[in-house]
Amino acid sequence: MHEWSVAYSIIRTVMSWAGDKEVLKVTIGIPSFSFLDLDILKDAFNEMKKDSGLSNAELEVKIKDPTFKCRNCGYTFTINEVSDQLQGVREEFGEEYPLHLMPALAPSFIRCPKCGSHDVIAQAEDITIDEILVKESGAVKTTS
Amino acid sequence: MEPLRQLAKEKLEGKRVIAVMSAKGGVGKSVISSLLAFTLSQRENTSIVDLDIHTMAMSKLFGLEGRLHEVTKNGIEPFSFGNLGVFSLSGVVRDNYVLLPGINQGKVMEGLIAYANIKSSKNVIFDLPPGMGDEILVLERISKYFPIVVTTPSKISTKVVEYLIKYLVNEKRVKPSLIVNMAYFDCNGEIVRPFGEMNGVRSLANEYNVNFFEFPIDPNVEDYVGKIIEYKGSVKVKTDEVVTSLFYSNP
Repeated sequence: MHEWSVAYSIIRTVMSWAGDKEVLKVTIGIPSFSFLDLDILKDAFNEMKKDSGLSNAELEVKIKDPTFKCRNCGYTFTINEVSDQLQGVREEFGEEYPLHLMPALAPSFIRCPKCGSHDVIAQAEDITIDEILVKESGAVKTTS
Repeated sequence: MEPLRQLAKEKLEGKRVIAVMSAKGGVGKSVISSLLAFTLSQRENTSIVDLDIHTMAMSKLFGLEGRLHEVTKNGIEPFSFGNLGVFSLSGVVRDNYVLLPGINQGKVMEGLIAYANIKSSKNVIFDLPPGMGDEILVLERISKYFPIVVTTPSKISTKVVEYLIKYLVNEKRVKPSLIVNMAYFDCNGEIVRPFGEMNGVRSLANEYNVNFFEFPIDPNVEDYVGKIIEYKGSVKVKTDEVVTSLFYSNP
């Protein structure tokens, strides 16, 4: 259900940026560990865009696999090395999985596989709008 | 481009936004926040958002431990108490502790605000963690807020709180209201001040030209942790007066 809020936040942000320009495509990045349902996200986007200035916009979603770095021991690791930890969190919470709602909570639920510290930073842990394709005076322009 | 910030900003537009803050911890800020929010909700729809994401005191005060927020198409739904909606990170992480690097703290706060369903609320109160950190910067990015600064009469608290007042008055050009919590104890009509006289507070208020309100000590508040909305004692009575004075009296 949270996918609807994410879609709404994307639409509002793009509308605020685009003003009167016609938006053709929006590309967003989503961290893989948020486990958002992409079908629901796209359905929500397509449903809500009807009432907005983005009625012709297509949504493209790129899944980002973050890299983590432990600030305690310096170890750099991928999501595969903490997949069992993430699975444990999903089993505890089910649909209301905290990292689904707030990916920035990741360090509180992930420990460095080498030293066990929570002092980890993730690259690409946020939901981001990466590109917007707009039509300006008949031309198509991409903004990153 | 970060969508959360835009959404948080839009959600707060047109609402009365109040930040309950203190540079010092342990001054009773969360109790004051919860009573302010409940008192405002007795007049208008109000939300309180617990930005103290590490201690999550709101869940303890309102008896919400172990409960999770419902999530709908409209976002994170509040825990409702009449016209009051309560939002706390504890409703996302349940009874897990929250331990985060600095930069993530701000992002989590922004997410909590952005996704909270506060649509029907006229007032939004933020209970901030002690200190002067990301929480103040997060709020400044998304809203103009009315600051209510909480201190006790103690010298150390007053001196520490001065940093915050100085920042708000000199840099932000806003006039905070100061609540002096645990200022006195009414002992059968005799006023006793166990945490010190008000000299430091008076000189602080004079120097920065801010109004202050003295709140009493009521040991019975402790009995209402978990059911704070049932509390009707002297601190609630004082809160009623302050809410009327600050928000509902003609200038």
